[in-house]
Amino acid sequence: MVHIRRLMFEFRFVRLVSCWAVLFAVLPLAHEPASASAFELVVYSGRKESAIKPVVELFERETGIKVALKVGKTSGLANEILHERQRPRADIFIATEAGVCEILAKEGVLEAYASAGARAIPVEHKSARGLWTGISGRARVIIYNKNLVKSDDIPSSVLDLTDAKWKGKIAIAGTRERTTLAWLSALVGTMGEAKAKAYIDTLLENGMKVLPDNSDVWRGVGSGEFAVGLTNSPNYHLALEANLPVGVVYPDQGPREMGVLINPNAVAIVKGAKNLDQAKRFADFLLSKPAQELLVKHAFEIPLLPGIDPGPVKPLSGFKALQINQERLADLEERTLSLFPGL
Amino acid sequence: MVSSDAQHAELGGLGALWRSQRMGSGPTAVAGAVLIILLTASPLAALVISVFTGGVKAVSILADSSILWLIARTMLLAALATLWAMILGLPPAWILTRTDLPGRRMLLAVAVLPLAIPPYIGAFTYITLLGPVGWVNGAYQAMGGSGPIVNIYGLWGGVFVLGLFTYPYILLMAGSALKGSDPALEEAARAVGLGPIDAFRRVTLPLLRPSLLAGGLLVFLYALSDFGAVSLLRVTTFTTEIFHQLNTRFDQQNAAVLSTVLILITAMVLIAQRGSLGRRSFVQRRSGVRPPTIYPLGRWKVPALCCTYIVLGGSVFLPVTLLFYQTGSTTSLLHTLITGHQFLWNSLWTATVAATAASGLGLFVAYLAQRRRGLAGVFVVSATQLGYAVPGTVLGLSLILLYNAYLPWVYGTAAMVILGYLLRFLPQAVQSSTAALVQVDSNLEEAARSLGRSIWQALREVIFPLIRPGIAGGWMLVFISSMKELAATLLLRPAGFDTLPVRIWIASIEVDYAGAAATSLILIAITALPLFLITRRDATLSRLD
Repeated sequence: MVHIRRLMFEFRFVRLVSCWAVLFAVLPLAHEPASASAFELVVYSGRKESAIKPVVELFERETGIKVALKVGKTSGLANEILHERQRPRADIFIATEAGVCEILAKEGVLEAYASAGARAIPVEHKSARGLWTGISGRARVIIYNKNLVKSDDIPSSVLDLTDAKWKGKIAIAGTRERTTLAWLSALVGTMGEAKAKAYIDTLLENGMKVLPDNSDVWRGVGSGEFAVGLTNSPNYHLALEANLPVGVVYPDQGPREMGVLINPNAVAIVKGAKNLDQAKRFADFLLSKPAQELLVKHAFEIPLLPGIDPGPVKPLSGFKALQINQERLADLEERTLSLFPGL
Repeated sequence: MVSSDAQHAELGGLGALWRSQRMGSGPTAVAGAVLIILLTASPLAALVISVFTGGVKAVSILADSSILWLIARTMLLAALATLWAMILGLPPAWILTRTDLPGRRMLLAVAVLPLAIPPYIGAFTYITLLGPVGWVNGAYQAMGGSGPIVNIYGLWGGVFVLGLFTYPYILLMAGSALKGSDPALEEAARAVGLGPIDAFRRVTLPLLRPSLLAGGLLVFLYALSDFGAVSLLRVTTFTTEIFHQLNTRFDQQNAAVLSTVLILITAMVLIAQRGSLGRRSFVQRRSGVRPPTIYPLGRWKVPALCCTYIVLGGSVFLPVTLLFYQTGSTTSLLHTLITGHQFLWNSLWTATVAATAASGLGLFVAYLAQRRRGLAGVFVVSATQLGYAVPGTVLGLSLILLYNAYLPWVYGTAAMVILGYLLRFLPQAVQSSTAALVQVDSNLEEAARSLGRSIWQALREVIFPLIRPGIAGGWMLVFISSMKELAATLLLRPAGFDTLPVRIWIASIEVDYAGAAATSLILIAITALPLFLITRRDATLSRLD
């Protein structure tokens, strides 16, 4: 009896396993091979999928070029491009921060291309050698929780945050977020090493909490875990969209104050790209009006080109920007990292 | 007459032994061993070479005093997580295999389900609950308390979450040892007057030692190489520091040096474990041993049930409920399933291929090491064990470097993802096959060979039927781990080829929590189903025995 039951069981199990095996032998055939060779343009994007995918789809519709999109974190994709340099796989790299493009440019893995559409982009938001071009911008702002910060207490300068009343209430993303690193480098560049170091050390003594990334900052401030946060302007709009009680400050706007740092998102063509012509068309397309409007609207970015509707976002002309170019920031980077090991 | 027969068999056995030694170094074995060593050791070699080409400057990071702190912290995390996993895993293992708890077979099948929940998802749910502005603190403050009373972030949170989602390794290993141990030993202990607790402490626990060590090793090595959960919980460990060196500083040299240190630590742990096992002989599971004594719980029934349900609640029911809540509605779950079916297939077939390949290779490696106790076996096993040590990110980057340069037609295809799974999780298959083979007396094989069977026939007709449960278990482990793998997949996936964990990751950076929760549920369900079935089957079969 036991023997028969066991046999029955074995039989059922074998049948289950063979169904499974057959299913998976057939499945890969049913789908197209996922090789990148079936595509005519390979894009590595550090920009979020929700922000870049509509643009890519529009490009595919308009040109008929089939795009393979790989979405990741900007630094991770940059590392991939560095590791693939012997046999490049990506044609286009879209970065959320231009400093990464400068690093890749120094390593010699980018191809120069000056798109006609880039002429109107301000010089500080594109590479002098045409190795990358800004496609939109983010301002380095202060966000605050409206329930925790009274209107009289709203800081107007980043320097105000050293005040004891902010003790333990400030959040910032660590240098793992490259926009933080760029901001620190900008401080070193404008204030000088000693002053910048003293300022950041005071903030850390004041209990500034260093978080892994920017989404932790805006969620932390939005939820009331922190009163204020140093982060990028789109995050303010994301927090608003999530119905969180946040306000924003574009700090240091006084005539003698340094202004707000702008981090451009950038597009670059990878050196040795297999689909160079399509890549150039894509770079041109990103700077065209329809693409720009999609890019800006979906992600609350600041347009860098004139004539693009900024929507709810404060345009470039709406605030005083900190004047420093990306090459200088990239040069300061190594020094900045060694100055602020705690970040 | 009888004695001459025995002598004969012994001589035949010796002959077979001699032949099997010769066979072991036959061309198939050599080719296979070389292939496996090439496959597994090449990323490692690439890593070490890049350290040495850096010269003295490369190792300057080791002179930094903070590295000792990093080592200490990472080891502490791994050790505490292992301890916590044992605390969580051992009592249910005993209760579910050795007592008359109602519904214990079903509970056992549920208790292994945390293996289907990736710790990064577990970390995420516990941040929602126990974070500084999580539900618990919110409720506490609503009741008039001031300030947060719990904070999941930091070392203790890391220990809590890692232990909670890895305890099934302990449960599985200890559970199968408890089921298989000879009841005569415990009965003897009881007969000389020891109470049940003393009998457990002085007889059962020492018998459990090898399986506890094996399970503990899995947890320890998991904690050592985990990136997702620890980075979410803001714990600085080796893997997060390697990530920092790579992705902030673009310093591949420092990352390579740190990875090499991590590999050395892992190698030492593995050697220590082997040494500690090596001094004792294994308890062999023989057919014909009576099933273990089942203790009636009596008035302990309710506490035992509570204990089991608390562990299951924290590791299965609570996270899954929370994910359902975050998903919002069944329609959004269905919507995610329909729009994401491609990612589901991608995950399923790559994990299936990887698990099957790993089982085959694992069996080969285990057989080689078990039946041929030479240097070759040690080499092959050590080479496959390295998958434990190399963090997914580092493995991914080394593979890019190697395959893009030397096998460009493989690179950029889904085969790279499969290769990543295979290299990371091959040790699990080797471990399972070894554990199964150890329990098969090599005399059985020798007997078959002395009766004129070829080595393949002996394998197929005698050994394989006996070790099949072990192989199936190994297949399952690799399949589950592959389904959950994120770090290497992120790097190795061809453009346009995403898996379920990649989609969860993308949804979470897009702050689309409903989408992330829905995709997580799909991943957990798909992984849990075969796990549940195979555990149930195991339980049913052992009852039939």
